[in-house]
Amino acid sequence: MLMTDDSAPFRDAFDQLLATVAEPAWLTTRRRVEMDRFALLGFPTRRQEAWRFTDLEPLTAAPPLPAAGGGDGPAPASLAPWLLPVPTHRLVLVDGRFAPALSAGGALPAGVWLASVAETLRRRPDMLERAFGDGEEAFAALNAALFTDGVVLALEPGVVLETPVEIVHHTTSAAHARLHIALGAGAHATVVETAMGTGAGWGNTVGVITLGAGAMLTHLHVQAEDPAACHTAAVRAVLADQARYEACALITGGRLSRRDVAVTLAGDGAEFRLHGAYLLDGGQEATLSVRADHLGQGCRTEEVVKGVLAGASHGVFLGTVAVAPGADGTDARQLNRNLLLSPQARVDTKPELEILADDVKCSHGATVGSLDDASLFYLQSRGIDPDAARRMLVEAFAAEAIDAAGLPDALAELAHRHLRRWLDGGAS
Amino acid sequence: MSKLLEIRGLRARIANGREVLKGIDLDVAAGEVHAIMGPNGAGKSTLSSVLAGKPGYEVTEGTVRYLGRDLLAMPADERAREGVFLAFQYPVEIPGVNNMYFLRAALNAGRRQRGQAELDAQQFLKAVRDRLKLLDIGDDLLRRAVNVGFSGGEKKRNEIFQMAMLEPKLAILDETDSGLDIDALRAVSDGVNRLRDPARAIVMITHYQRLLDYIVPDRVHVLADGRIVASGDKTFAAELERTGYAYLGDAA
Ligand SMILES: Nc1ncnc2c1ncn2[C@@H]1O[C@H](COP(=O)(O)OP(=O)(O)O)[C@@H](O)[C@H]1O
Ligand SMILES: [Mg+2]
Repeated sequence: MLMTDDSAPFRDAFDQLLATVAEPAWLTTRRRVEMDRFALLGFPTRRQEAWRFTDLEPLTAAPPLPAAGGGDGPAPASLAPWLLPVPTHRLVLVDGRFAPALSAGGALPAGVWLASVAETLRRRPDMLERAFGDGEEAFAALNAALFTDGVVLALEPGVVLETPVEIVHHTTSAAHARLHIALGAGAHATVVETAMGTGAGWGNTVGVITLGAGAMLTHLHVQAEDPAACHTAAVRAVLADQARYEACALITGGRLSRRDVAVTLAGDGAEFRLHGAYLLDGGQEATLSVRADHLGQGCRTEEVVKGVLAGASHGVFLGTVAVAPGADGTDARQLNRNLLLSPQARVDTKPELEILADDVKCSHGATVGSLDDASLFYLQSRGIDPDAARRMLVEAFAAEAIDAAGLPDALAELAHRHLRRWLDGGAS
Repeated sequence: MSKLLEIRGLRARIANGREVLKGIDLDVAAGEVHAIMGPNGAGKSTLSSVLAGKPGYEVTEGTVRYLGRDLLAMPADERAREGVFLAFQYPVEIPGVNNMYFLRAALNAGRRQRGQAELDAQQFLKAVRDRLKLLDIGDDLLRRAVNVGFSGGEKKRNEIFQMAMLEPKLAILDETDSGLDIDALRAVSDGVNRLRDPARAIVMITHYQRLLDYIVPDRVHVLADGRIVASGDKTFAAELERTGYAYLGDAA
């Protein structure tokens, strides 16, 4: 272990962080535990089943380190194309630190806590004391050790936050940011998270979501990191009775990208829907790993994930639905469809079911194909040139997943805008 | 009348397969309507595919001139922008591509080619409404994805609607009548008749005589086993009706 201690490059940054932050003692202890845990685990390797298709070499060869004090933020105008076309509560994180000058919070209704993690630790540390999990995976452990900031959104029971919360991660070096969302019973919120940046940075995010009975969270994630960047994110959500988690992920950026979503449907009648697409080109690799643990009765999971792979890119979909004993009446569907646009592009897809309950309705499917020649010819026979015809078919293919998500209009518009931006970027 | 289309000694085969067109000669002038009849498997769809530029066929001999240009040298999309239109025997369903979005892209691609300004959303919508009225079809087709969930008749009407929008100089209708009940046949035929124009040639492929009761052609040809084996004026169709074209090479 000592010979290959993956934590070594992070030790200086870690010591510096501990020397500069003023935070509760429990958190310092927690950071030390997590740093040791990461030292023990090291980066995952392909020998681990869940990581067998993911090539971490671009990251582990020389992991980007946090810039002291954070990097320069983007020019405010450069954010505009990435923002929702409606008023929002906007929080921008630059290299993992809240950047008030770029943010626009707006007045918050009663019963809403929306603040940076740093501010929350200053004013309401109690809110986060139980928000760190034990036994984290390597990336989440490293995040807990090194995180600098993040966003906390907490809604009291019954509060409906109409205005979307918009979180922009802008990364140029390394950013270990946290997102904590806790919705009380019957509360509703909409969150858009956009990850972007410049240069060979690394965004390593952890999201912790708890939804009370009947709460509903709509969560759109747009991953548009620089083509040279790495992106890792672990999101875990726990759903009480009748809670709904509506997630949509659009992944186009980064040289290496990995998103792990783990949802526990703990209460009865909870619902988890995940739609999305990864669209990759050149030498990009992206993994979307989704695990739904059905514990309660009569819960539903629906996943529709599309992959578009151009150039020599590599897409990976790992989907597990695990139905625990007693989780009767589970209804779970997983679909992963992939479009290969070049002979060098690759995809690995593994939707799986682990069923230990009776009376369940589960289905899963995966397809890998190429553009339909008959459709291409039909479009060309009406005067549309081959590039435009291909683009039209690729857009239709990916848009289907966005449309099926049933996002509110403003979010759908943002997602489609991002899809078109990718198509304009010259893939296919 | 100037020759819009001149086909000379055209031979073509399925790519790496057998020969299907075995020497076709055909002249079509602007303003004319030609009917091509013939038994199943004669090569009618192959001829329309070769003219439209569908991949998968190899022309081994002969020439096709369209408005004096070498049609076979042009990619399919360019042929379309230059005014060649094929109404498919089996229109393709394209999930996720909205009919209107697709048609506007097609229309504007043609307009760009001709150096005309593109139509904006409003101008386009007006053009759509005009054509729907001309063809007497409802607008429910428009909201859906291209041909997805359309009945056989709706698909054929959508082809004619596209033709009305794109205003081709040469329209090839491949069995636009097949699979239609009598009302749908009448509706589609009325549409085609309204699109007859002195500047436009129409080549309609069918193996039923009945279409010719609704769309009266200037010339009728019989295609059998890859060759045009007989041609005549509109009275020829009636003659064929009496005798059948079995004697002309229908082995079936
Ligand atoms: N793409 C193809 N692949 C293989 N055979 C084909 C293909 N297209 C046409 N053929 C064959 O060529 C012959 C002519 O077909 P087609 O042109 O469709 O005839 P028609 O339209 O007159 O009924 C038939 O024997 C048909 O099976
Ligand atoms: Mg045919």
